[in-house]
Amino acid sequence: MRCRDIEALWDNVCCGDEPRRDDVLAHLQACAHCQGLYKEFEGVAYCLSCLPVVEPPQRLVSKIMEHIKQTCPKKTDPDSAISYESPLGTIYVAFRESGITGVAISRGEPLDEALVRMSQRLHRPLIPQPAPDWLLAELTIFFKTWRTDGVRVDLSDLTAFEQAALKKAAEIPVGEVRSYGWIAKELGQPKAARAVGQVMANNPLPLLFPCHRVVASDGTLHRYGYGVEMKAQILKLEGCTSIRV
Amino acid sequence: MPTVAQPAAAKARPVSGTDTFERIVDEYQRRLYGFALRMTGNREDAEEIVQDAFVRAYRAIGKMTLQQRAELRLQPWLYTITLNVTRNRLRSKRPTNVALDSLADPDALLNDTSILPDKPEDIVERGADMALVEQALLQLPMHLRAAATLRFIEGRSHPEIAEILQQPIGTVKSHVHRAVRILRRILGPQLGRIIHLDGEADAVS
Repeated sequence: MRCRDIEALWDNVCCGDEPRRDDVLAHLQACAHCQGLYKEFEGVAYCLSCLPVVEPPQRLVSKIMEHIKQTCPKKTDPDSAISYESPLGTIYVAFRESGITGVAISRGEPLDEALVRMSQRLHRPLIPQPAPDWLLAELTIFFKTWRTDGVRVDLSDLTAFEQAALKKAAEIPVGEVRSYGWIAKELGQPKAARAVGQVMANNPLPLLFPCHRVVASDGTLHRYGYGVEMKAQILKLEGCTSIRV
Repeated sequence: MPTVAQPAAAKARPVSGTDTFERIVDEYQRRLYGFALRMTGNREDAEEIVQDAFVRAYRAIGKMTLQQRAELRLQPWLYTITLNVTRNRLRSKRPTNVALDSLADPDALLNDTSILPDKPEDIVERGADMALVEQALLQLPMHLRAAATLRFIEGRSHPEIAEILQQPIGTVKSHVHRAVRILRRILGPQLGRIIHLDGEADAVS
């Protein structure tokens, strides 16, 4: 065994998981150079293990719990839900007084099944209700304009980054597309393209927040929760002419 | 050989509800705070990091299915979250000139009798030495600092560190090794003196 092989194996020996332990120890006994280095290695490990344990500030636990109660409201309150006939077929819309909280496009399943699926996604129970007038009016306008700014939405269950990414997607003009990287860059985090992709994949408000306008950097459609064909169909309905599959 | 304490593996507990979560916070805050402190060298940062990490953990657990909760390995997972929060924080605040509180203040050392040398002048010297070690650790690049801290201060095994850092074990070993090499270079001649103060470290027998 050569000296430089030995050095990399010391910590394994200390951990007791080095199969060539005996070889390493034999070399150490014979080689003064490695002994010196080993002493230093041990010295470093020893110094680090001696650093005093600093106690966390008093009441840190209660401070943390207080913070959690403030920032993570209990998500047990149910939202209401309706089904709605859109140009894309039946959609399901979850809402509360402050605005729309979820959208799902029907895959042809019965209402209760669709609501179970949506409620799992939103982490919140859903109760079917008759549609209030404001909601019907806003949805009617939305499917004429495809503009997010005409609908009342409630994104408060989402993180700050998720909200920012979705709002940025809503700034893409109707009928146009941008890349995941474009959103990341616009948000000042040019390396976060994949994080943006995650947000789009988990978008609780598809259609309303146009994750369908967000595509791969080469202009191809990439993916869509309801299938790429649906993504193409939505973009076509919006008047997009440069669809590349 | 000066061995690093290996804390007993945390018992598996079902994870749910705020009551249970408070128990988790209570159980892990000390460890995560210590880790964040060694990573940042700053008490305020460490406190905010731990707070943020627990909020993230709470949110993430709320979104998990029962099965995911049952399969969750809490301790490495909490370390991973804490490390991610630390990274995000240090990225926006370059660590080149970290304002270092004297973490190794003599008062804290006086209360820790287990590592206390006998003579008062040694106590003062010891405090200064520990501050040197802290400084040296903070000079490491973040990925090496994380590996060294988990290995030698937190006393985690290579497989555990691999799980926390989400890296292959070979990478972890090589990072630990490189961290030690750099620390050895930074501490240089002081190293011998610090060890000497505590009596010779035993050789591997």
